[in-house]
Amino acid sequence: MVPRLPFLEREAPLGYVLVIPAVLYLTIFIAYPFLMAIWLSLTDAEAGNAKWSFIGLDNYSKVVSSEVRVNDLVLVTLPTREEAEAFQKARRSAKLETTPQGARFRTAVVVAGRTIPLFEMDSSSDSEFAADTVVSEFDWQVHQAGKGWEVVAHGGDEPIRFGPFPDRASEKKALESSVLVKADTKVRTNGTGVVQDPNFRLSLLNTFKYTFGTEIIKLLIGVPCALILNRKFGARRLLRGLVVIPWVIPIAISAQAWLWILDSTYSVINWCLVRWGILNAGNIINFRGDPQWAMLSVILVNVWRGFPFTAIVILAGLTAIPDEILERARLDGANAFQRFIHIIGPMVRPILMVSLLFSVIFSFTDFNTIWIITKGGPYDQTQVLSTYAYQLGVNAGYLGKGAATSLFMFPLMAVMVFFMLRFLRREN
Amino acid sequence: MAEVVLSGVEKRFGEVAAVAGVDLTVKDREFVILVGPSGCGKTTTLRMIAGLEDVSGGDISIGGKSVTHLPPKDRDIAMVFQSYALYPHMTVYRNMAFSLQLRRMPKPEIDRRVREAASILGLTELLARKPRALSGGQRQRVAVGAALCRQAGVLLFDEPLSNLDAKLRVHMRTELKRLHQSVKSTMIYVTHDQVEAMTMGDRIVIMDKGKICQVATPLEAYRHPANRFVAGFIGTPPMNFFDGELRGEGAALAVVLGGDLTLPVPRPRLSGVSGRQVTMGIRPEHIQLGGEGNGTRVKVPATIDVVEPLGNEAIVTARCPAGLLQIETELTGDLKPGQPVSLLFDTAQVHLFDRQTEVAL
Repeated sequence: MVPRLPFLEREAPLGYVLVIPAVLYLTIFIAYPFLMAIWLSLTDAEAGNAKWSFIGLDNYSKVVSSEVRVNDLVLVTLPTREEAEAFQKARRSAKLETTPQGARFRTAVVVAGRTIPLFEMDSSSDSEFAADTVVSEFDWQVHQAGKGWEVVAHGGDEPIRFGPFPDRASEKKALESSVLVKADTKVRTNGTGVVQDPNFRLSLLNTFKYTFGTEIIKLLIGVPCALILNRKFGARRLLRGLVVIPWVIPIAISAQAWLWILDSTYSVINWCLVRWGILNAGNIINFRGDPQWAMLSVILVNVWRGFPFTAIVILAGLTAIPDEILERARLDGANAFQRFIHIIGPMVRPILMVSLLFSVIFSFTDFNTIWIITKGGPYDQTQVLSTYAYQLGVNAGYLGKGAATSLFMFPLMAVMVFFMLRFLRREN
Repeated sequence: MAEVVLSGVEKRFGEVAAVAGVDLTVKDREFVILVGPSGCGKTTTLRMIAGLEDVSGGDISIGGKSVTHLPPKDRDIAMVFQSYALYPHMTVYRNMAFSLQLRRMPKPEIDRRVREAASILGLTELLARKPRALSGGQRQRVAVGAALCRQAGVLLFDEPLSNLDAKLRVHMRTELKRLHQSVKSTMIYVTHDQVEAMTMGDRIVIMDKGKICQVATPLEAYRHPANRFVAGFIGTPPMNFFDGELRGEGAALAVVLGGDLTLPVPRPRLSGVSGRQVTMGIRPEHIQLGGEGNGTRVKVPATIDVVEPLGNEAIVTARCPAGLLQIETELTGDLKPGQPVSLLFDTAQVHLFDRQTEVAL
């Protein structure tokens, strides 16, 4: 038994004392808001309303009704192309034939001597209307399928809709008994949870666009930038210092410059393009207002802000490659391009993944850039999860839904980080 | 044929001349060692032969073809680096095959060469491993193997053994020497370790301050050092040096050292040197402890200063009238610091160097 040291001589108690402020900070400013957000997301809390109640996962997903969209009905499968095309042409002379089937009505289409039952419904007019749509509105196409040829009725953007159904079971039952041919069916759900919210889905898509758009461009700029900064030239140290400026300037300040650069009337980019005769003064680009350009504009600003980090991290990776390895590669006969592909690239890859990991997290959760430049507009084209959560929870006052929206980022990021870390571990 | 000829090769970094006019001919299949203290220009010379440094002046040719301004890959050379320079993300096999793959050699030929080199170096079991899973000695062998695969006319080694521990270094020394006997390449080997130089090379090139001091076989350099620097650099423990002045000439030549110690150093062919300031050198093994003087052996009184036992031998530092000196002697129990002894200088083995020019007389 080793005798214990006197209290003041021991290291551990001092460590615990010193760590108390950090623990308090983490608890008050990180753990509490995080747990509170989880709790809020499970309630129907609204700003200005003192009463809340627990509603479970309804904020995340609550299906009120669903409708089924039926498209691409396979009318017939024939052995040869000629027969299929003949069938396709006979569409003009197609007739509908509705017969009672017990308490229900079955509508078949009669084409080129074949009777093809299409729908069976409770009302004869519903059944006939659907079949008529297939015959007169849908585009009949001939496809090869296995050994035979199919004639498929394609509805494009206007499929046949069934529903609304109150639940999955009735939807499934109705579908099985109603559509008598093979067809492509898609379920659309309507509800009050964020998953059912089309704006949420748009924000999610935009978040991925924003994140991966940013990361790809950052790499395309950051890698060459790091390669240049790694060369030995006079102004290297100065340039290394200058390159981090975008990263250290607070976004609230640099965004003002970007607001001007991307201004709808006074944009300096437009001014240059008009000056150089590339654009006509009459149709200058509205970077922040045009749905086509808005996402690209916010990505551009984020790239400008983030690429120094990528470049510096890659530069650190490059400097860590011993000169002798590159010299050996030269002796081995590798030219500059081959050295980059076979030696520099693989050796920098682990640290590049670390930088990508951080930078994906920053971009995925970025609020500032978008809020300052576009506030999610125009028409929600740059709305990402963080800005949408803010608008839902703070601007609109739906605290529960806002919390649910922002918490959606958590599992998505956990999955991304998991795969990146796994890749890193494999590399080492 | 891979004869390497350097004529008047120079390398200047601004005002500083790292290599100041080197002339050297390395014969085909010869094993030549460039040796010297750090900063003597030996590595720079090797790197110029490799094409990793630009040549400031002079000409380098390999196999009769001037390569002075050719890129490294066109010089028919392969090189082993001090830090091994293995590609950490490639397996041993790919490390060895890489240069051949870049040359678009057919796969079966690459495989044959890699496996041949691997079997020579005992790497066959390790081909699938990455460098970080290898020990220092194994990495060293992979680096050599990668150079061997090239089957280049000239193999260059840049201090390849300096990162190994003492025991492994001795082992690899033997292996490299054996390797030279079995492969048909010219080898140029840079080291700062004179023991490596002495034991491995057919000829050694001793360099100092960017210049070649002497090109000779190891024994010749040991027995007849061309100048004071070579004499002091080659041999452990190092040669003992004493400042003195010459008296007389020819067969009656003598050197007067500090403390009025006069040693006869007959040099029948040397005349007109009386009064010249010289440095006298004598190797530790040419000084005997105890015994009677006769003929060329001259008795000198001394006291023991330090005794360093090495097992069956000991290095003894003693103080004689001319100054401190080191001798190698059999270890006997009765050597104590402060003990007066008599030393026998074998004056037939004494080297004389001009004090100003440091050239051997």
